[in-house]
Amino acid sequence: MTSIRMSPVHAQLEALQPQWEERLGMQVAAKLPGDAAAMLEAVAIADLSHLRKCGLKGPGAERWLRDHDIPVPDGVNAWAMLPAGGVIARLGRSEFFVEDGEAGVVVESIGASLGFGAAGVYPVIRQDAGFALAGRRVNELLVQTCNVNFEAFGAEEKIAVMTQMVGVSVLAIRAIHARVPCYRLWCDPTFAPYFRETLTGIAEELGGAAIGVDALPI
Amino acid sequence: MSARLPPVPGEWIDRSVDIEFEFEGRPFRGFAGDTVTSALIAGGAGTIGRSFKYHRPRGVLSMANHDINAMMQDGARMNLRGDVVPLRKGMRLNAVNTLGGLEADRGRLLDGLSAFLPVGFYYKAFHSPKGLFPFWERMFRRMTGLGRLEFSSPRLRTPKRYDFCDVLVIGAGPSGLAAALAAADAGAKVCIVDENARVGGSLTYQRDAGNLIPGMLDVLIARIVAHARVSVRAATCAAGYFADHWVPLIEDRRMTKMRARAIVVATGVAEQPAVFRNNDLPGVMLVSAAQRLVHRYAVKPMESAVVLTANDEGYAAALDLHRGGIRVTAVLDLRRDISATEAAKQLGAAGVPIRCGYGIYEAREAKGRVGAAVAGPLLDSGDLDVARQETIGCEGILMGVGYAPAAALLYQSGAKMRFDGSVQQFVPDQLPAGVFAAGRVNGVYDIDDRLRDGARAGTAAAAFLGFASTAHPAVPRAQSSPSHPYPIFDHPKAKNFVDFDEDLQLKDFIHAAQEGFDNIELLKRYTTVGMGPSQGKHSNMNAIRILAKLLRKSPGEVGSTTSRPFFHPVPMSHLAGRGFHPYRQTPLHSRHEKAGAVFMQAGIWLRPEYYAFPNKSKQDAVREEASTVRSSVGMIDVGTLGKMEISGPDAAAFLERLYTGKFGNMKIGMTRYALMVDEAGVIIDDGVVARLGEDRFYFTTTTTGSANVYREMTRLNVLWQMQVGIVNATGAYAAINIAGPRSREVLGTITQLDLSANAFPYLGVREGCVADAAARVMRVGFVGELGYEIHVAADAACHLWDALMKSGQAHGIRPFGVEAQRLLRLEKAHIIIGQDTDGLTTPVEAAMGWAVKMDKPYFVGQRSLKIIGKKPAKSQLVGFMLEAGDADAAPKECHLVIRDGGIAGRVTSIAFSPALGRHVGLAFVAPDMAADGSRFFIRVDGGRMVQARVVPTPFYDPDGARQKAEAA
Repeated sequence: MTSIRMSPVHAQLEALQPQWEERLGMQVAAKLPGDAAAMLEAVAIADLSHLRKCGLKGPGAERWLRDHDIPVPDGVNAWAMLPAGGVIARLGRSEFFVEDGEAGVVVESIGASLGFGAAGVYPVIRQDAGFALAGRRVNELLVQTCNVNFEAFGAEEKIAVMTQMVGVSVLAIRAIHARVPCYRLWCDPTFAPYFRETLTGIAEELGGAAIGVDALPI
Repeated sequence: MSARLPPVPGEWIDRSVDIEFEFEGRPFRGFAGDTVTSALIAGGAGTIGRSFKYHRPRGVLSMANHDINAMMQDGARMNLRGDVVPLRKGMRLNAVNTLGGLEADRGRLLDGLSAFLPVGFYYKAFHSPKGLFPFWERMFRRMTGLGRLEFSSPRLRTPKRYDFCDVLVIGAGPSGLAAALAAADAGAKVCIVDENARVGGSLTYQRDAGNLIPGMLDVLIARIVAHARVSVRAATCAAGYFADHWVPLIEDRRMTKMRARAIVVATGVAEQPAVFRNNDLPGVMLVSAAQRLVHRYAVKPMESAVVLTANDEGYAAALDLHRGGIRVTAVLDLRRDISATEAAKQLGAAGVPIRCGYGIYEAREAKGRVGAAVAGPLLDSGDLDVARQETIGCEGILMGVGYAPAAALLYQSGAKMRFDGSVQQFVPDQLPAGVFAAGRVNGVYDIDDRLRDGARAGTAAAAFLGFASTAHPAVPRAQSSPSHPYPIFDHPKAKNFVDFDEDLQLKDFIHAAQEGFDNIELLKRYTTVGMGPSQGKHSNMNAIRILAKLLRKSPGEVGSTTSRPFFHPVPMSHLAGRGFHPYRQTPLHSRHEKAGAVFMQAGIWLRPEYYAFPNKSKQDAVREEASTVRSSVGMIDVGTLGKMEISGPDAAAFLERLYTGKFGNMKIGMTRYALMVDEAGVIIDDGVVARLGEDRFYFTTTTTGSANVYREMTRLNVLWQMQVGIVNATGAYAAINIAGPRSREVLGTITQLDLSANAFPYLGVREGCVADAAARVMRVGFVGELGYEIHVAADAACHLWDALMKSGQAHGIRPFGVEAQRLLRLEKAHIIIGQDTDGLTTPVEAAMGWAVKMDKPYFVGQRSLKIIGKKPAKSQLVGFMLEAGDADAAPKECHLVIRDGGIAGRVTSIAFSPALGRHVGLAFVAPDMAADGSRFFIRVDGGRMVQARVVPTPFYDPDGARQKAEAA
């Protein structure tokens, strides 16, 4: 079956001869040649653009989410886990970004419930390219590409940062999985080829490389 | 002859590692840890460079990173500063700025012509006769500039990185080290940087005649290195200060953008030269330069020296050097009344003559370097009593007459500085929040005071950040001035240099002031003082003193010039570094590549200009693409268009206020052209608005305008407080325009939407599935044919493209690029904002009054358009056509419309229309030239005039029958 959806960096991944798997209607680079564990000792980058996303904005957005039993991060520029995996990030007082995990249904249910919108709640189409950066040297990559001091955040702090990385606007959150620093990054899909190419180049200088989704310590 | 001393305590060299190198073709040998200059001096070199303007022989001046006459070329690496660049094996060095080598430099003839080459001579000469200007230009280009640029050298991708700390301490001398320790002890994360190869600052060479507490530096360094909250970066120059404590740190192969929460500036001072005749001879140097050579590199720069001083530190230095093996033949003190220090007494006991109230009138040359100092007593006027001059034999003259604060970073931070006469120095008066100063830059000189001042500043910085700390009292400034107020002496034969970078003499300043350049900023620009590679570190203070004396003002009243980052030259490779140049690709980029697209940049987008075929020219490819659209069907990726969604109860009202047209009366399922003007009534954007629901609209903007339009909409809604949600969905949607008489058939096979003319009329919009993807389909006709613009989520774009290509195969579908689109739209006379308009074009001038509904209550720019409407238009956009025979010399875009020898307009678009067999175009012309049938002339390349005729537009299918396609 032909997938309808395609990652904005599909062409770059194809050159790496990945093991493709169809997930959520998109060809996903599940595995890539190379020692992923070694990459995680340096910096590894994986494409997670297949995960479904949506956004909400408007003065009634927070109330609407609570009414639909969706966790709402307490403060602006904070994020929270969704019950079945995935994240919800609060981008402002009245704007939210939601990404499901592979098994999640929150995005789908928001779409079904919200439709074209409700009073003071406006749906936002999100087609962001999604990436994961992981590895013990990941901060060395970050300090070459972004002027936010991620290391200043506490390990348990769930801060959603909207900033620029290599000249591209991104949403970034930080987590630590299996004691490996891990960052999730989202950017406009039309910048994704440039963004991934640039980050991968720096990751390679640091001894890292691209890895498949299944090698992520998430 | 080797000038290398036996091992000196604390020396920076590693005598176990020999390094061989070449200078001017001669072999030299040094040690690891040497700088280029220290190794050269150790190897017996005296002259190590030539001056910029007069090509005078020059030696060591400062050894403090501003010996600009010791700049070297090593292969592709140019303008290496010999006084600080570490020696490396295999270096093949040459002095820059010579014509034929250092010794045989033909440029030295200029020294004899210096009387004819005063400052600013080029302002007054060479502008006539005009014909000779190219000759002079070539000559000056050959003569000026430092170093040789190797175009073949590989690009260095010098990494740039960010870093963060609580307190950045700049300068790792005693006060900086004390500041770092105090701040770190209070709990702050501290980074301390120093431009020298090792930390310690003046403690590494100014030994205060042995009076320092033994091991003081070692103790400080040990504490710093052991401190968990302190990171140390030597050989790192903090080259500028930007807002919010953002400081670029320059290392040999890296630039770090340090974001500190507070900074302590402990940058110390730069020792200043005295000004007397021949003060640039090899062998004349700053006292601190000699001390650096002796204590850091174990190099004795001369056998004997006269020390010229004006402070107590000069005696300590003289004694120190005397003990280090340099025979001090005299100490000359510019001060008359001093109380003898312990060092002075010891010098006297050692038989060194001491002359108080004495200065140096000139240095005499012998064998290419200093042979003697001509000294004399100072008169009450401050001049030297030439009649009582005496000549003192020596190989060197060491100048220790005062200092200038290294305060560039403080100035850049916005600190208010004032001139403190008691220390003869500019000192910080008011510091910005989070900026602190310590040590000699703060006017504090005694070593114990500097340590206390550093601790005070470090503690204050930590307290500023909220770390618990105890306030330290202010530390008093120096009791006696370490700097002489005017160590500058005139001489009838001049060559008394103030600025060694630019060969500026005392008389140059006097002449500049006489010519009216008597403001410090004007003086700087006229004389170029401080504009050379050392950026005034050894010249600005003396320039201020000279101007102050000429104007009978104090240095404080004269003030200093503006300090801007970078205050120290930074290699271009660091600034270029790894470049981040974002570009955007539509989701269909891979499909375009497969189809042979030749890409062009549209803003930061990459778009297919056309699709290349073997053995086919670009022109043929473009015309075939256009022909396919006219005759069958083509498709173009228009995903770069801005795409916005606006919804909510006030959505229609918002659009009415934003655009010039009416949208409240639009039917659901229809689209309408939208024109946007700014408050001045100037066209800034256009697009198509589609009404998807009662309170739900989707609309497009120009490719380059989307971000601005979204930003402006957001801003306006803050003002207007309307109930709308605005979404910039530019990247989230892909868009394909399928156009041509067969487009309905092609699209019809992959969608259940009813595409019949009645069900889906021209300018309609429908939502439904296309190739199993949720889509918005708009019947618009930018290229003048039956066409559909299909918008789908970005991740479904390739699927849609493939489906359309497959469906259109039977009709010979092919993609077309931007060039064909431009041609097709020009045949319809559809304007492109930014190409057919400029920053002054109003809808009236662009013949788009039909898109402006002045009877609305309000829209942005309406008020201006009312005013503009009452005035006669200055130009008019018209369509024109060339006569058939003018195809070979067709005008180009931006060629001028000429009437009576003057400019009457310009061409904005022009192309050959295969459909019409003529060149057609759009042009701005004077309103009285705009009538149909009027003829005007366009001046083309080479000056030839081509006649054009104003014709009605659209040129092609004027009734729009093809795009409406109602019969289908």
